[in-house]
Amino acid sequence: MRGWGLTLRGLWERRTLSLIVLVVALVPVATASVGPIFAESAGTEIVRTTLAESTPDERGWRFTAPHSGVPAQAARFAAGGSFLHPPIKGMELLSPEATSLTKYPLMWQDGQCEHVTLLVGRCPAAAGEIMVSRAAGFPLGHRVRVTGVIERPKPDGKSRPAPLQVVGVYHAPNPGDPFWFGRNLFAQSAGFTEGNGDPLFTVPATRESTVVNGATWTDAATVVIDATRITAADLPRLAELDASAQQLANADTETIVFSGLAGPLGELRSQTASLGVPALLVIAQLVGLGWLLLFLTVSDLVTARGPEIALARLRGHGRLRVWRFGLAEPLVLLAVALPAGLALGLALASAMAGALLTVAVPVTVTGQSVLAGAAVLLGGVVAAGLAARNVAVRPVTEEWRRTPRRTARGWIIDAVILAVTGLGLAELLTTGIITENSGQQAGALAVPGLLAVAAALLSCRFLPSLARRLFGPTRRAGGIGVFLALRQIARGPATAGSLIVLGTAFGLATFATAAWSVTSANFERVARIHNGADAVLITRTESVADFRKAVERADPSGVRAAPVLVLPGPPKMLATDPARFAHVANWDRPAASLTGRLGADVAPRVTLTGDRFRLRIHPVEIPKYWEVRMFADLRVPGEATVKSIPLGAPDRAMLEWGLPPACRTAPCELRGLRGDVSYLSGADMDEHPLLAIEATEVATRSGGRWRAIDAGLTDPDRWRGTGSAGADGLTLDMAAFTATKMIPATYPEELPALVNSLTGNDFTPGLDQAYLVRQAPVPVGPAVPGLDVPGGVVDLELADRVAFAIHPKAEFQVWVAPGHLAAVRDGLLAQGLPVYEPRLMSGLVARYSSQGPGLALMLLLMAAIAAAVLALGRAVLALYSAARQRGYELAALEAAGARTPALRSALLLEQLIILCAGMLAGVTSGVVAAWAALPRIPEFVVPPITPPLLYEPSLPLLAAVTGGALLAALVAAAVTAEILLRGVRPDRLRGAPG
Amino acid sequence: MTAAVRCDGIVQIYRTRELEVVALRDVDLVIDPGETVALLGPSGAGKSTLLWLMAGLLRPSAGRLRLNGSDVSRLSPRALDRMRAADIGVVLQNPSRNLIPYATPAQNVAFAQRAARPDRRRVAELLDRVGLGGNRHPHAGRMSGGEQQRLAVAVALANAPRLLLADEPTSQLDAASGEAVIDLIKETAVETSSTVVVVTHDPVVSEALGRTITIRDGRVGTEGRHGEDFVVIGREGAVQLPPEFHELLPPGTMARIEPLADGVVLRRAEPGDDGDETRRAGR
Repeated sequence: MRGWGLTLRGLWERRTLSLIVLVVALVPVATASVGPIFAESAGTEIVRTTLAESTPDERGWRFTAPHSGVPAQAARFAAGGSFLHPPIKGMELLSPEATSLTKYPLMWQDGQCEHVTLLVGRCPAAAGEIMVSRAAGFPLGHRVRVTGVIERPKPDGKSRPAPLQVVGVYHAPNPGDPFWFGRNLFAQSAGFTEGNGDPLFTVPATRESTVVNGATWTDAATVVIDATRITAADLPRLAELDASAQQLANADTETIVFSGLAGPLGELRSQTASLGVPALLVIAQLVGLGWLLLFLTVSDLVTARGPEIALARLRGHGRLRVWRFGLAEPLVLLAVALPAGLALGLALASAMAGALLTVAVPVTVTGQSVLAGAAVLLGGVVAAGLAARNVAVRPVTEEWRRTPRRTARGWIIDAVILAVTGLGLAELLTTGIITENSGQQAGALAVPGLLAVAAALLSCRFLPSLARRLFGPTRRAGGIGVFLALRQIARGPATAGSLIVLGTAFGLATFATAAWSVTSANFERVARIHNGADAVLITRTESVADFRKAVERADPSGVRAAPVLVLPGPPKMLATDPARFAHVANWDRPAASLTGRLGADVAPRVTLTGDRFRLRIHPVEIPKYWEVRMFADLRVPGEATVKSIPLGAPDRAMLEWGLPPACRTAPCELRGLRGDVSYLSGADMDEHPLLAIEATEVATRSGGRWRAIDAGLTDPDRWRGTGSAGADGLTLDMAAFTATKMIPATYPEELPALVNSLTGNDFTPGLDQAYLVRQAPVPVGPAVPGLDVPGGVVDLELADRVAFAIHPKAEFQVWVAPGHLAAVRDGLLAQGLPVYEPRLMSGLVARYSSQGPGLALMLLLMAAIAAAVLALGRAVLALYSAARQRGYELAALEAAGARTPALRSALLLEQLIILCAGMLAGVTSGVVAAWAALPRIPEFVVPPITPPLLYEPSLPLLAAVTGGALLAALVAAAVTAEILLRGVRPDRLRGAPG
Repeated sequence: MTAAVRCDGIVQIYRTRELEVVALRDVDLVIDPGETVALLGPSGAGKSTLLWLMAGLLRPSAGRLRLNGSDVSRLSPRALDRMRAADIGVVLQNPSRNLIPYATPAQNVAFAQRAARPDRRRVAELLDRVGLGGNRHPHAGRMSGGEQQRLAVAVALANAPRLLLADEPTSQLDAASGEAVIDLIKETAVETSSTVVVVTHDPVVSEALGRTITIRDGRVGTEGRHGEDFVVIGREGAVQLPPEFHELLPPGTMARIEPLADGVVLRRAEPGDDGDETRRAGR
């Protein structure tokens, strides 16, 4: 305890220096540890947001089997991860309703009543009770009978469908609710009535009180990941669980496991893996810089203890005891700096997480952060060890010498660092790749540190030499102030340490500032284009018309939301409402004028509703041995491709055929009339008669009555193809060896598209990705909102007219202008549409910032600026100490007649020259590093194809940082010079220098 | 009897980048146990160097130095440390250099004991003896110069040394304080039979000690015992005339050596004197 007491007293005795060491140790520990801490939180955020943005089936597993063992299996599975919700048990049976034969799932899912909105009645509670959807149309009290569930056999042996009494009516829930695991259970409510009804919710007792008839109860259990609890550290376990779920399914042939987790899991792996390398490189540089600062400062502390260590040796203390005595104070400070630095790092990381992360995630000290902090302190320990060794090994009597011997600084270390820097820079410039094996050029992040150290080393060699050369001129004409300043700089020792620290720290700070200004601008630029709008909602409707209507209802103003149907590419296609797009999309260009170029004058659609189609024509005489057939091409709801109906030979006035069943309830669209010719054997191939088939009326039959359709057969502007429209009707010219086709001109022959690059593809993909129509590209530059790959923006209405269906991969996005997200979202939800978590532009920027490269650069900025401030403080302190040691010299000069202003200018000049030289070296190396390395340093996990990234740092920001630093240096130099001058008095010469 | 200090042809050279400085040359000296010796001489003569050699802080460049029979040149650093811890006490010139300024007097004395045998009772006794007993004293750094020097002596005596070395122990003290410190050193030497070597410029100090040795230009010039000074014949027969005789034989003077039965006489040789008389006398 006595030894500790002495150590603590010693620290208090040297409290200023101790405090400086503590700060110099604490700040690098904090800046080095904040990276791993924040990276862990950022990783957790990535995991949570990725899962939150995934569809419900991508957030868990659904186990089903025709036996009751499933819940137990799922329970065991769910116990394997603390981030999993308990299994949601369930059972269901699919069976037709006895009268309508519509198939209803009779089902129970534990907790079902909390996940639907009860409109009337109550939740089922007893056997034989059910809850139905409003769309099902069963009234309260009605007894529904499904054929698959029958009453237990009566004594008479007859079995009848069990009556299921309706006790409640619910409103179909949001299918995005993970409770439903993304299953398309509520098709009836969504408007699809073909054969499937909404679930009839019951209770398990119904199963026990009935028997099945030609159907099977399926037991199910859903295990959902708790996206609010899972962390980045759980990712390996999550992968193991997913693999084990598949193994479970393989082992039990009756158990089926549904899960779409593999997709998000792969994405998560690539994203979290990207956090490592760049952050490590930056942390390594920070650790290096921390070492440099700590080395110098801790050495100062140990040197300050020189007399006491010498005393210990004088008193015969053994080597071990002397080392312990010498190292006690710095080690105590470093030991305190570790937890304090980690606490500061935790606080900084928490602040960063609060500012940058879009969801609240836990911020905790991680093992890596402790390692990073300890690595920084290792520099201090090494410094303490070396300094203590110097003091402990050199002759004790040296401590009492009045003029310590000078030791020359070697060239070897300088030469090695310069050589490594030169090689690194040469490799960077010639090949563009610094050796590394994880993709992109993360190794380029090492260049700024190397350059900064090299520039600092060169400057600390160059400046004393320059000062020596300037002796002559200043001696003759510069006055004593300049001469004294230059002489002191030329002496070297204090100059070298300060220049190295300042040059390195300011080099990194300048580079970090430049890198951050470039990167944050690029993040903003890319996020604006990739997200397309301030906020993007994802929903789903059955048709483009429904989609447009839904958006119009959600935003009647027409300026707050835009429907955007996205077809993944490349080439990627966005189909949108141009007017709305112009208001909502992130586009610096005059969007309205560009989107105005997407429109085209087109004919109205020819829609058909009914059960039969008829085409009235002027019959033609068909040449002998010709077989001529007419067809009508239709776009039918629910069909992925064109549906052709045969109309027979044009030798009759009325050509009729039944319409597809879907056209009875929903409008189909007439997309063409065509005819083709087959030759029968015996035909005279040399005869080439021309048939002109004139169509005069299109009609459909509905409810037994024929109704003529306005098909514009006499309007030349409404049809195009191998024929013509005129006063007599639509003429299809049919010649030998040619087919004939006329299509309604409901879309232009070339679809206008605002493209970000000419892909070389003449055809636009179309909503059905069928590449049916040529595009008329309107190049508008490399950056088009919403396009992260080559592609184009087209008019949604025109695109819909071209297509026969909507491709399954099409994404229904609703782009929202700033400030209107909640209103638009509520508007869509009110229409019963599924709406997933919004994708925000700010969220995308935050995502980029928290991914590996962005995080690394942000850490570099934060730590480099902190290091620069420390370096400036350390340099000023070193200069102050050096000048103070020359107090007698200055006093002698004053006694010899040197005036105070001259001494003041000498001190001020000396400090200013050194501080400015260090900063200049640093700023120069930082700018050079920015120029050389920025285009090569990864800013994104996946480099964006578009928009092009820019690499011009913000000059005002750089100027502000440099100017601020120079101002700080000026103030520090002026204050230090003044303090020093107050201590310079000739009466000091009377005392012995000690 | 083994000498406390025996120097045989000690040479000490300081080497710097630019030059070499010979601090001591061919010093032969024997100090017996229990002797109290004052090392005198002008500044830069090599007194402190000789003291540091005796303290085992330097190893001689040439020659042999034995402390209590042990050859310092052959001792390992650890053995030297043990010797300093057990047998040697040192008082440095500047009082504050002897002390840890932020430690109490008791802690300072205990610090000097820590390498050998911690003895709290001795700490209290020593502090009482130097008039710094009790716990009322502030940290060493806040004590007066006299108190600091007395404390420095107590620290040097902390390990009951067989050889007490003091470098200008009174140089920064007033007369009364200086006298008290010297009395303390003498008393201790008598009580513990310690050998005491004190580097001093102060005649009061040198008179208070049993023997004086004057170092000049790195050599032992004269020795004084019981109030009488003697020149010491060096290893190559060199004799340093004390300064008070420089008027008779100024530096650069030629002199004749006239042998006597128990020694020689030096006489100034006048220019033109052929020296026959001298030569005759010699025959």
